[in-house]
Formats: sequence, C-alpha cells, structure tokens
Amino acid sequence: MLASGLPEIVGDDEDLARFLTSSNQFSSLMVKPAAFLPSVRDRETSVFRHGGEPPEALWAIGEAHLPRFHGAAIIKAHDCRATLLDVVTDEPPQRHGAIMGWPWLDNDPMEQKAQQKELAAQLASKAALLRR
Amino acid sequence: MAGGGSATSSEARAVHRAASEVVKSAERSQALFGEKADALSQLAALATECAEQGWDGENATAIDSNAVLMAERFLRALPDGIPMPEFAPEPDGSVSLDWIQSRSRLFSLSVSHSNRLAYAWLDGTDKGHGVARFDGQSVPPLMLEGIKSIVRPGYAGLRAA
Repeated sequence: MLASGLPEIVGDDEDLARFLTSSNQFSSLMVKPAAFLPSVRDRETSVFRHGGEPPEALWAIGEAHLPRFHGAAIIKAHDCRATLLDVVTDEPPQRHGAIMGWPWLDNDPMEQKAQQKELAAQLASKAALLRR
Repeated sequence: MAGGGSATSSEARAVHRAASEVVKSAERSQALFGEKADALSQLAALATECAEQGWDGENATAIDSNAVLMAERFLRALPDGIPMPEFAPEPDGSVSLDWIQSRSRLFSLSVSHSNRLAYAWLDGTDKGHGVARFDGQSVPPLMLEGIKSIVRPGYAGLRAA
C-alpha cells in the first residue's frame, strides 16, 4: 500500500486524470490528442489516480500541484493498456501516476512523433472531458 | 430586330451568369479569407498562451516560433474547400493541427521547426500514422488525401492509399 492509501498496482478499472493546462487542449467535442503526448524529459504522461470522488476533490489535487488548469481528461487505465501503453504509480506526490511505454526512436524523431500521435489519438478518443 | 433582341438577351444572360460567378467567387474568397484569418488569430493566441517554458505546469517546451511560422505556411497552403483545423500545444514546442469530426474520426498533424511533418489519424476502427515533407508551398498529396478522407464523409482517399 502506498502513502496515499492506494494499491501499488494501478487497477484496470481505475480512472486517471490528466490535467488540462491549456484551453487549446480540448474542444467542445473532446480532449485533443496532444493533451496525452508524453513529456520529452520524462518520456511519460503525468496523471493522477482519481477514484471517482466528486470533481471538487480532483480540483483540489490540481490546485495543489499546478498554477492553473482548465479541467481534466478522465481515462480508464485499461483504455491506456489496450493501446499497449502501461500505467504505473509514481508517488510522491500522493495519487500521482504515469502513462509509460511511449515509442522512442532516437534516430528518427519524426517517426517517433507520428507513432506517439497515433497512440495519443486513441487515448483521446476514449477520454471524457471534465471541465472546471 | 427580334433576332437582335434575342442576341442581346443571350449576352445579357451570359454577363449576368458571369457576374453571378464573380460575386459567388468573391463571397467564397471572403469566407475563406475570414476562416483563414480566424485560424491565424487562434494560432497566435495559442503561441501567446504557451510562450513560456513549463506552460503545462511541468517541463513542456515553449511553443517554437519557427513552428508557428511553419503552421502559418501550412494554413496558407491548404486548398480551398478544406476546413481550417483546430490547434493544440505539444510538450516539445510543436503545434498540433487537428481536424476532429468525432471522437473516432480525426486527423492530427504535428508542425515543428522541421519541414518534416508527423501525422496520425483515426477513422472508426481504422488508424495509422505517417511522416511527410512539406516544402512550405503545397500540402503533401498523401497528407491532403488523409485530411480529405476525414473531413469529407464517404471520401476513401486515405483508406485507398
């Protein structure tokens, strides 16, 4: 058990929240694929494990860690794993997790980006938009 | 006299038709210019919003001014009849151009400082990705086919390719 009280393995049915820090990361229709692209430095996508609590609890997490955000993309862990990406815990901070396993081709960054965009588009197609 | 009158009427109708076409063309150009102008404004707003490193609250690279210039060129190169995309910032400083018809029907293109463009699409259960070279003047043909296949229902260009 982690300090947050959550299990060390992220369950397939767990909701993951990806905070949306730019108003351009979503439209009226959906979360845009770019919102899920990984950090270049960490090579992973930062998420918070969200247990279905009221949105206010999620916003409190965001306020504790981000200077500003407009909402969150909510996606099930199994939808990430269905694309052959993985979801792991990454505490601290509490409840933090990461979507890992993104393609990384150091000799062809554009092919790498294209592969990542295809995966990000699949995640975006499954994500629910929760606006603040 | 009657024949002359008929010829004049015929010419008049031709002139009227031509004038109507000019007006329609001007209206299309006006609409198109307006759309492109709006899109360029949205692109500029995105560049301003994400002008600082760490705009994502983590370590995202600031939007690259050369990527914005390349995206502007791409917008100007889009042929008539193709709707303008939406924009999104990417963590490496690139700009994403997105044509989103529905959750499962979209085309997403990444523009960086490079003349090589990475793209991906979803079309129902079909999906894919690719890389194409952009000369700054005309949209790469395969990429254009891909965009058309998403924005025009029934168009089978990408699937056929």
